[in-house]
Amino acid sequence: MKKNISRLTYIGVTLSVLTGVFSCDKTIEEPQRVGYTPASVDEKAGAWKTYLLASAEEISVPAPTAVTSSDYVAELSALKGLASNLSQEQKEAVVYWGAGAVYRWNEIARELAARYNIPPASNADGKYPVPDAANPLADPKFPFANPPYTSRALAYLSVAQYDALVSAWNFKYKFKRSAPSKVDASIPAALPVSALPSYPSEDAVVAAASVTILKAMFPGEVPYLDAKLKEHLASRQWAGMNVTSDLTAGTNLGNAVAAKVMGRARTDGMGAANNQALTAGMIEAAKSRGIKEPWLSQEGPARPPMLPNFGAVQTWNFDRKTLEQIRPVIPYVVGSAEWQKELDELKSIQNKQTREQARIANYWADGAGSYTPPGHWHRAAANAAHEAKFSEIKMARTLALVGTAEMDAGIACWETKYYYYTPRPQQFGLKTSVGLPNFPSYTSGHSTFSAAAATVLAYIFPDQADKFNAQAQEASVSRIYGLIHYRIDCELGLKHGKVIGDYAIARGKADGSGL
Amino acid sequence: MKKLPLLSTIAAVCFSLSAMAQMPNDAIYMSKGQVCVATMYTNSSWKEYWENTLKRENLNIGTHTTQSVMVMPAIGITNRLNVMLALPYVWTKTSAGNLMGQKGLQDLSGWLKWKAVEVKGFSLNGLVGASIPVSKYVPDFLPMSIGLQCKTVTARLLASYQHKTGVYVTGHASYSWRSNINVDRDAYQADDRVYNTNEVSVPNSTDWGARVGILKRKWQTEVFVENFSCVNGDNIRRNDMPFPTNNMEATTVGWYGKLQPKALGMNARVSYVTSGLNMGQSTSVMVGVLYLFNFKK
Repeated sequence: MKKNISRLTYIGVTLSVLTGVFSCDKTIEEPQRVGYTPASVDEKAGAWKTYLLASAEEISVPAPTAVTSSDYVAELSALKGLASNLSQEQKEAVVYWGAGAVYRWNEIARELAARYNIPPASNADGKYPVPDAANPLADPKFPFANPPYTSRALAYLSVAQYDALVSAWNFKYKFKRSAPSKVDASIPAALPVSALPSYPSEDAVVAAASVTILKAMFPGEVPYLDAKLKEHLASRQWAGMNVTSDLTAGTNLGNAVAAKVMGRARTDGMGAANNQALTAGMIEAAKSRGIKEPWLSQEGPARPPMLPNFGAVQTWNFDRKTLEQIRPVIPYVVGSAEWQKELDELKSIQNKQTREQARIANYWADGAGSYTPPGHWHRAAANAAHEAKFSEIKMARTLALVGTAEMDAGIACWETKYYYYTPRPQQFGLKTSVGLPNFPSYTSGHSTFSAAAATVLAYIFPDQADKFNAQAQEASVSRIYGLIHYRIDCELGLKHGKVIGDYAIARGKADGSGL
Repeated sequence: MKKLPLLSTIAAVCFSLSAMAQMPNDAIYMSKGQVCVATMYTNSSWKEYWENTLKRENLNIGTHTTQSVMVMPAIGITNRLNVMLALPYVWTKTSAGNLMGQKGLQDLSGWLKWKAVEVKGFSLNGLVGASIPVSKYVPDFLPMSIGLQCKTVTARLLASYQHKTGVYVTGHASYSWRSNINVDRDAYQADDRVYNTNEVSVPNSTDWGARVGILKRKWQTEVFVENFSCVNGDNIRRNDMPFPTNNMEATTVGWYGKLQPKALGMNARVSYVTSGLNMGQSTSVMVGVLYLFNFKK
């Protein structure tokens, strides 16, 4: 009897353990973003300074039909039908896109960057095939969305969104066509309706501009992007937010602005960024500057360094002469007492890396398969702007300032890396707990990207300045904890990034926003 | 941007499922009041792995080695109900490249093994196992991580027939529930999309084994085939690192033997992965020392 009771106890314990696990939900919860009424509609934004458009009027938008016209009434009637009896899928699309056009397209771009951020595999000959834009889905896929590539893709995306929205704001307040639900109260609006005029549609402007840029940056994703565009535009009608002519005018404007932005992208020097023929000369030049032991790839087989000529790409917020003036000074050279001290620091961390050091290194690693440090900071910027209930135009301004600062940081950091061509600690026997980037050590890209972004974000969100600056510091030191950078790489990278961020701020202060 | 073509061993993760001495995969029982403590060293290494279905090597890894020392007491609660516990210390390394080896106490696992039916040499046994991580090792620095950090519960059915000559055949099948885990980063890619959270879903898994051997009072020898398969999951992307969400599979063949003339004994096991998915093709060797304590009144 006693035996049976103890057996029953065991079974009971077993069942309760099992129940605990059965009830364990494997669904992954992610923070959900929803729409809001902006804190301000920024009605003067049509006068803000554009990056590439000569003016907000450079691309003309035809005057809309009057809201009393029979054409518009017919559009309203059609909209009413589209906005009624939504399926669950349509409702979900409304909520998804309602979180914000700029917000969602930035998120989509980051996701594409993550999906394409994988270094090519070596082939049987021990060579690394170069991704081919004309054949983007072959192995290796085009692009390899590494940090410089991603910084650039996101910069052009953000600039196109911003310029297109400045132009859209100009025309919105020129034509002052009210939102459909304000013209006809029987139109069911599923999202918050602000005082912002609805022609041309800011969603269509952003969607069209974004898709044009992203198709160029991720040419293998054309069907995916077309499907997203179609859903975005349709969601504006399911939500009762835009009549067809709002969307058509916005689409045309977004396409035209993005085409102009792509004109700069095609001639900014990216085409020569991977010119490997230059590295021999770079190494000689670095030696002439006092570098005794130049960087060598630690991969097997040795991989050509990442985008050695990205430093020659055209910057946004300062010119080439400034880039050279703000370049960090030569780091400690191999064999010097200072260099040895910093190598010893890394050896010491390798021997007793704490769990907290590993956590910091992992959190900020943003390596292969991630949206890279520029993507990480775009995410921080977009989330902060969303939480502050920024209008679409102000969200776009935020991301353009951060985005251009990140691309400038990438260019200036890469220029520094190949100017000095310094070896990684792994060239002297160190291991890594995060994976080793395949390009010269000094300065740290993470430090430069992070300081540039945090500096800009501290300007836009002064009440969160301490948080962003602390995050940049942590991102920087994470590369020491991960054992792939000397301390000087990180400290001077941070300083460099701060200066680069300041140039973006100067641009922001002079853009007419009064912010 | 890391270079990272990497791997996944996860042999470590399977320890709790495929351990040995008088084990969760046999029909051997400690008598009431007996405790057998096994201390086992395992060395498992691979040079080639399956990146999705592509079998490849990686010059930035060379040969990947996982070693462990595991203490495993098996306790006779009654003649038909045993408890087994296991706690491994695991360490990893590579022969090439610069990925830092990881080390630490991994997961504490426990099994209840109950002989439900016993008729003329035939037995039907029900087992329930559970495991829980005992240290905060990093779970997503694969293939260097020593485990996946999930809590697991496993239900297993094991059938065995033993002839009076000592020849036996045993088969088992199991299902393991594996909990979600948290990683240090707050965004990651899986299933071809980005998740903006630090929570990662680790797929549940099944395993089965079939073994034939001879069991005598003082020794045992057997050959076996085993399979471990996740029930779903994604694949390692081309030239990317493995990740805990991967659909890992391995089919293993091997030999196991035990010699225990008196209280002191030893056991050994060799095994080889013949096919797999998102895992290394490992060869493993285990040797252990057994000691039988008798607390029978």
